[in-house]
Amino acid sequence: MTSISSPRRSRRRRLPWQAIIDCLILLLWGLVLTRLAVTGKLFLLLHPDYMWLSNMAAVMLLGLGLVRATQIWQSLASPQSITGFRSEEHIALMPRQISSGLLLAIAIFGLIYSPRPFTSETAFQRGITDVLGQTRSRPERFVLSGAPEERTIIDWIRTLNVYPEPDAYNSQPVKVSGFVVHMPDWPDNHFMIARFVLTCCAADAYPVGLPVALPEGEPMPQPDTWLEVVGTMQTGTLSNKRQLVIGEPTLTTIPEPRNPYEY
Amino acid sequence: MVQLNNGITLFFSLLVEALPFLLLGVLFSSVLLLFVDEQKLLSIVPRNAVLAALVGSLIGFMFPVCECGNIPVARRLLMKGAPTAVAIGYLLAAPTVNPIVFWATWIAFRDQPEIVFLRILFSLIVAVTIAVIFSAQEDMRPFLQDSLARIMGEPEKPAPQRKRADSGTAVPDVSPLLQSGSFLIQSPGQVLQLSAPPAKTLAILSEAPKPLGSRLQLMVDNIVLELRELGAVLVLGSAIAAFVQVAIPREVVLGLGQGPITSIVAMMGLAWVVSICSTVDSFFALSFASTFTSGALLGFLVFGPMIDLKNISLLLTVFKGRAILYLFALAAQLTFLLCLVMNLYIL
Repeated sequence: MTSISSPRRSRRRRLPWQAIIDCLILLLWGLVLTRLAVTGKLFLLLHPDYMWLSNMAAVMLLGLGLVRATQIWQSLASPQSITGFRSEEHIALMPRQISSGLLLAIAIFGLIYSPRPFTSETAFQRGITDVLGQTRSRPERFVLSGAPEERTIIDWIRTLNVYPEPDAYNSQPVKVSGFVVHMPDWPDNHFMIARFVLTCCAADAYPVGLPVALPEGEPMPQPDTWLEVVGTMQTGTLSNKRQLVIGEPTLTTIPEPRNPYEY
Repeated sequence: MVQLNNGITLFFSLLVEALPFLLLGVLFSSVLLLFVDEQKLLSIVPRNAVLAALVGSLIGFMFPVCECGNIPVARRLLMKGAPTAVAIGYLLAAPTVNPIVFWATWIAFRDQPEIVFLRILFSLIVAVTIAVIFSAQEDMRPFLQDSLARIMGEPEKPAPQRKRADSGTAVPDVSPLLQSGSFLIQSPGQVLQLSAPPAKTLAILSEAPKPLGSRLQLMVDNIVLELRELGAVLVLGSAIAAFVQVAIPREVVLGLGQGPITSIVAMMGLAWVVSICSTVDSFFALSFASTFTSGALLGFLVFGPMIDLKNISLLLTVFKGRAILYLFALAAQLTFLLCLVMNLYIL
């Protein structure tokens, strides 16, 4: 098995490195997508409606990787029969080594890294202040779920969008869950219970939220804590705007949900 | 630290969303390479620039891909010797003018059907106009990346008297023996010029249909090749788009205003920055439907699929920077004008 024994043998020992790396890239990317899907982290990145696309891509990548692996295996087993891999030419901007390296590196990083949901800081950056009473979302269908305490935050915002007068909802029971956002220009005992809404992927997530008024003296929850808030709707004035506020709240800390977005 | 995390999450989100479409585009491109007889396809393309542009714009109905998938196909068209008008028309219109995107836009904007149809119409107008402008340039190679230009070789002279044999190969008007250069004599009546560019040589040599097995093998090779090249570029593009999204607060874009002019500029800017695929962008646009003018929504839906931050790096695999600048400027201005007319006179 020494490589210097004969020229023919040394040719047999030459491994098709580019093909092996390509095969690794395909398999690793397939694994990254599979891992996201299996661990449920895909929920942080994509709207569930589009997950089948990502899953299909995972299957295709793994399949291509396996085809590649079989071809490499065949070429190693009988070097005469295969005329070599034609994917070693290159057409794009970057040298082949760089593009291979980049894809390999990102795939390995993707296997290690766990995406994390957005926090209140992102909510500020994406403009949480303008969502009350006017959500950007125009629902495809609008069905008012029966009991007010069954509405989620986005349901409330949509309801308010249709009929914004806060007095209409006075003393209705409310039970919503979300994360805590401290609004800088609000009184000290007010915070926002918020959620991100997704239309397609995390790139377009936008925040919506409802104000919560705590009784005087009660400690404020930390920002980004996940809470379930049970209370009754009241009308309050925040930032010189009359709006709906959750009053007499009971706060329960909940674990961060597997799927933190609403749709 | 939070910013970094957000950036990486956005980056993976864009990748996960775009990768399936890139994969589909590469698949279609490889199928086009191996199972479609390009000579036949090209022989039915009209010579007239406007008609060719229109045909190119409508190829999207056959190869429905978004803006990450259309670039491999457009590049393949160029390499196969398609007229410039066809390739550019396809490049700009295919992400919008195709059944999947039409269906997605229809689902999103069912209650505003004018948006659905005007999206298609505006995309066609912009794509055909730009394609006609570009086809005025007879030799596209100065606009293309060197590696692609080398493969393409000299542009064929638009000689109307040129005949095409049934086999599909071009029959030289002048006997090849009267031309200068070194030749190899192939089958009777056919010569191979040694100095001919690779694409032409390949076109002549690959005459005999290959067995299905080796075609499939070639297809896998091509898929792997294009996936590696364009995938790496997509990774870079997504990284840049994610960085810009984290660095520039969305408020800045949205705060640009509600006026008929500023709203269009803002939405076009947003489309450029957010870089989401044309197949899903209508759902994103829908979330702005109540705050922005119809013209602005159309600006987003028409301009976004043509050129955005993410696919500029993909475009760079085909075109040189200067050509992309022209494409960008022309597409932006035309879209803006059309949407302005829509805002001021129609709605």
